Amino acid sequence: MAETFPINIWINEERFKALQDAGLANMLKEELAGMKVMIVPCTEPQRDKILKLFPMAKYDAATTKSIELLPKYVKDKLYNMAVKRKTLNVMDEFTKGFEQAGDAFWNQDIA
Amino acid sequence: MELIGHGGKPLVERVITDKAEAKKKIQGLKQIPASRQMATESIGMALGFFSPLQGFMKRADVDAVVQKMELADGTLWSIPIVYDISDKEIAEYGIKAGDSVLLTRNGNPMAIFEIEEIFTYPKEEIAFKVYGTKEEKHPGVARTYAYKDKFLGGKITLVQSPKVREPYTQYFLTPRQHREKFKSLNWQRIVAHQTRNVPHSGHEWLMKHAYIAAHGELPVESMEVMGKAISGVLVNCIVGEKRAGDYIDEAIVLSQDGLRKYGYFREDIHMTTMTFWDMRYAGPKEAVHHSIIRANLGLTHHMFGRDHAGVGTYYDSYEAHRLLMSIPKEKLFVTPIFVLEWAYCPHCGEVTCIGLCGHWKELQKFSGTKIRSILLDEVKPTRLIFRPEVFDIVMDAAKKYGFGSPFVTPEYLAKAAPAFSFEPL
Repeated sequence: MAETFPINIWINEERFKALQDAGLANMLKEELAGMKVMIVPCTEPQRDKILKLFPMAKYDAATTKSIELLPKYVKDKLYNMAVKRKTLNVMDEFTKGFEQAGDAFWNQDIA
Repeated sequence: MELIGHGGKPLVERVITDKAEAKKKIQGLKQIPASRQMATESIGMALGFFSPLQGFMKRADVDAVVQKMELADGTLWSIPIVYDISDKEIAEYGIKAGDSVLLTRNGNPMAIFEIEEIFTYPKEEIAFKVYGTKEEKHPGVARTYAYKDKFLGGKITLVQSPKVREPYTQYFLTPRQHREKFKSLNWQRIVAHQTRNVPHSGHEWLMKHAYIAAHGELPVESMEVMGKAISGVLVNCIVGEKRAGDYIDEAIVLSQDGLRKYGYFREDIHMTTMTFWDMRYAGPKEAVHHSIIRANLGLTHHMFGRDHAGVGTYYDSYEAHRLLMSIPKEKLFVTPIFVLEWAYCPHCGEVTCIGLCGHWKELQKFSGTKIRSILLDEVKPTRLIFRPEVFDIVMDAAKKYGFGSPFVTPEYLAKAAPAFSFEPL
C-alpha cells in the first residue's frame, strides 16, 4: 500500500454526530483515552502542495508522521468538505479550490 | 538575614531600592543600551537567581565553565553567562576595563555595570563544550555564534526592580521572596517542576510522582488537615525568548496555576512562579543550570524527566540524568528526582507510569505534537488527558494574550508586550 501523509482532525461530540449522519463515523480512529480523530489521507505530492500553500505547517516525520500545525480554518474546511462529500479523499478538491479562489475560498459554500 | 544559595555561598542581591540613591549613583555614567537577553540576565544575576554570580562572567570563569563545568573558584556551573559587545560599540562608547557604565533598557535606567575585563573567547569552543555540537541549527549554538566578538565581565547592580506586566505580576518572585513564601507555607521539602509547556495530565502525574518521592520519609499525618502540608511542588515556568510554535508564556503560567486553582493539587502543596531565562536547549548542561537556579530559589529537590531541556536528537533521552548522577552530592545543592514518562493505558483506564504498567503494547503516550494538534483544533480533550478547566484557561489566554492562538505566531512575536520593563527614575 502506498505511504500516506495524513492530516489529523480532532473530533468533538457535535462533529461526531455530523460524521455519523454522513456515514463516516466508522472511519474515525480512537487515540489518547478515546479521543476521536479523522485522518485525511494525503499522497506525497498532495503533502508537498499543502506544505507549500501553508508554510506554517510542518510534516512531523519523527513522531506522528502526519502533517501538523495547519491552522484551524484549514482543518475546518477539510472537515466540512469531508462531511459534504461523504468521503475523506478531499485533498485534490481542497487544494484546487484554494488555488483558484485564494482567501475567498474560506467563505465559499461547498457546492 | 543572609540567605545561602548555590555553592553554599550567600545569595546575591544587588538592587538599589532607594530612588534618590540610584539617581545619585548613575549620575554622569556613560549609557549603554542593553539587549533583551542582557537585560534578562542582569535581572537573573542581581536578584540572585544565578547566585553566586554577581555579574557577567570574566574570562577565567567562562574558561572554567567551558572546560570543567565549574566557575573559577570551583563552584558547579554549566552555561556561560556573558555580555557580548562589538569592537565598534566599545570604540563608540569609549569603554575600557575599570569603567562603570549605566545599562539602559528601552531608554530607561536598568543597571550599573562595573566593567572589570574586556576579553575574547572562541565561540566554537563554547558551542562544542557546552552543547556538544558545533552545528548552527542547534538553537543554543546559534545563540553563541550570534554573540558579538568581545565580552565584558564585571558586577551588575540593578538601579530599580523590574516592572513585571500582567498576567505575570503575581507569579514573579525573587529568590528571597520564594524562600519567604515557602517558610510561610511551612514547607520543609520543595520539588521543582521545570516547564515550558501547558500541563496535560501526564505532566500532572510527573509532578505527583516527584512530590511523593521528595516527601519521602517525612510524616504524612499532618496532611490529613488541609493547610498543614509540610512539602510542596513548585512549578517554575521559564519565561524568555520565544520561537514560533512555542506555547505563549501567558498560557503556560496561567494554566499551570490552574491545576491548583481547580483542585487537581491542594492549595497548600502547589505553587506556580516564573524565572526569566532564555532556554539554551542545552539538554544535560541546561539541567544542571536549572538545578542551580532552583537551589537559589530555596528548593530542596528537582524533578528531571526524559529529554530534559533537549532539542532535536542532540542528546540521549536520559543523558541529563546521567550527568546529574555523576556530580558529587556536595556540589549539587538540590536532590534530583528522576522520573519516567506517564502514559494513558486503555486497559487500566487511567494514566500510569510506563515503569509500572504491564500493558506495554497498549500504552498511548502523550505526544506533545498530538496535544498541540488537539489544542489547535480547539477540541476539548477528555479530562483523563487534559483537565477541562486547564483547556479553558489555555483558550482564554489565546484570546487575551495570543492574538487568537495559544502558540507563538509572527503576530505575537511582533506585538506582544515584553514581560518586564524598567521605568524612568
